[in-house]
Amino acid sequence: MTAITFDSVHKYFYFQHQKTVKELVQALFKRQKTLERVHALNDVSFNINSGETVGIIGKNGAGKSTLLKLIAGVSSPTEGKISINGKVAPLIELGAGFHYELTGRENIFLNGVIMGLKEQYIQKKFHDIVAFAEVKEFIDTPLKYYSSGMQMRLAFAVAVFTNPEILLVDEILAVGDEGFQKKCLDKMNEFKKNGTTIVYVSHAMNTVAEFCDRVIYLEQGKVKYDGKAEEGVSLYKQNII
Amino acid sequence: MIIFKHWELIKHLTQKEIKARYKQSFLGFFWVVLSPFFQMLIMSFIFSKVMRVNDLGVPYPVYLYAGLLPWLFFSNSLQNATEELVENASLIKKIYFPREILVLSALLAKTFDFALSTLIFLLLMMWYRIPFTPYMLLFLPLFALQFLFTYGVSLFLAATNLFYRDVRYLLSLVIILWFYLTPVIYATEFFPLQYRWIFQVNPMSVFINAYRQILLTNGLPNFPSLGIGVLVSVVIFIIALHIFRRLEGMFADVA
Repeated sequence: MTAITFDSVHKYFYFQHQKTVKELVQALFKRQKTLERVHALNDVSFNINSGETVGIIGKNGAGKSTLLKLIAGVSSPTEGKISINGKVAPLIELGAGFHYELTGRENIFLNGVIMGLKEQYIQKKFHDIVAFAEVKEFIDTPLKYYSSGMQMRLAFAVAVFTNPEILLVDEILAVGDEGFQKKCLDKMNEFKKNGTTIVYVSHAMNTVAEFCDRVIYLEQGKVKYDGKAEEGVSLYKQNII
Repeated sequence: MIIFKHWELIKHLTQKEIKARYKQSFLGFFWVVLSPFFQMLIMSFIFSKVMRVNDLGVPYPVYLYAGLLPWLFFSNSLQNATEELVENASLIKKIYFPREILVLSALLAKTFDFALSTLIFLLLMMWYRIPFTPYMLLFLPLFALQFLFTYGVSLFLAATNLFYRDVRYLLSLVIILWFYLTPVIYATEFFPLQYRWIFQVNPMSVFINAYRQILLTNGLPNFPSLGIGVLVSVVIFIIALHIFRRLEGMFADVA
């Protein structure tokens, strides 16, 4: 079964160079460019089958994050068609959906419902989430007193317990101490074993080669390579030098 | 309906707004009640003692408060809702849920404030021995109508402020003008006759007059002008929701 289908997807952004009226007037007099159309994704097509683990690689500005946004459904394509089968859960970057004045407990519930969980389900899984995040003693302390490692762990723990069919991971494993990184990778491997589709965006080529079956290599919004992970990674490494 | 489908999300976002705001303040929730109360005291002093506004049928403080509370709900809601999408930009870029929910929960948090501060209003009514009548029950549908109007305007402001932050600055000016063109500190009758049409087309003025009629003069609201209020509120809400949904697909790109 296909989990994600992109059918000749184009995404344009309008980028306004001048942020203020003053700059705009000056630019008009000097005949500079004012509104630039950026082609963030250019005719991107692929199928991702359910259960696949796909790495998205490419330089900064290649369109990786745009791709994730389209899969998550927060942004819509300018042209082309996207179809998604299954519940998508993004591993939210640190901070989004959290409130620093609220306690760990309140944040678990807040973040959980934002991720589309039912209150009852969070209640049931609460102890597992806390145990996974290793923040038991601080659960009724406001988040602002947490170390950044603890915040990280809490964010990851909530996302992990959403039981998604499609998991979007954006560079999250780059933070946290080694012990926790290993725990995250273990958890991701568990997801992989259970047949969760994983889309993994990263610059850490070794992890991508190790963890993913397949990579999609983007360059300036186009798919440059789509296939075996090792080959894609070595192609990327050659290009970057 | 979004409200039923996403009830738990709305609930937790609203709780967040309410809880987070007064954390690390000694008086906490008392500020919700104290702030409008002190505004009322200051204005009462200025307008009833210094400017000598009278002949309102009821003492000035209670007359003022009946208009000031709905007004503060309106202006605080607009100011909060306008920032709501910008403040939650990181969320908007990552995960999908109907974006109206963010605006709606900002308004619900303000409704909570409003409900708390009406307690003082009731005390004030008892203090001045203003009789409680069954007409007061009309307060609920009237507030629902005001909520709808506020929600419509908020949706429009929240969406446009995401594209151009000018909206927030413009709003703070418009709010001042709007305040003076609404009978909060004065009565409609004080206004020159040739300008009174302003109150007909200003839903806030229609609502505040209606609140005073049902709460203070124990009578029915002026239904014809309330009818215009209903019409304007519904039309604005429908148009704003339409605009909001049209722009929603671009929120993650500009946030």
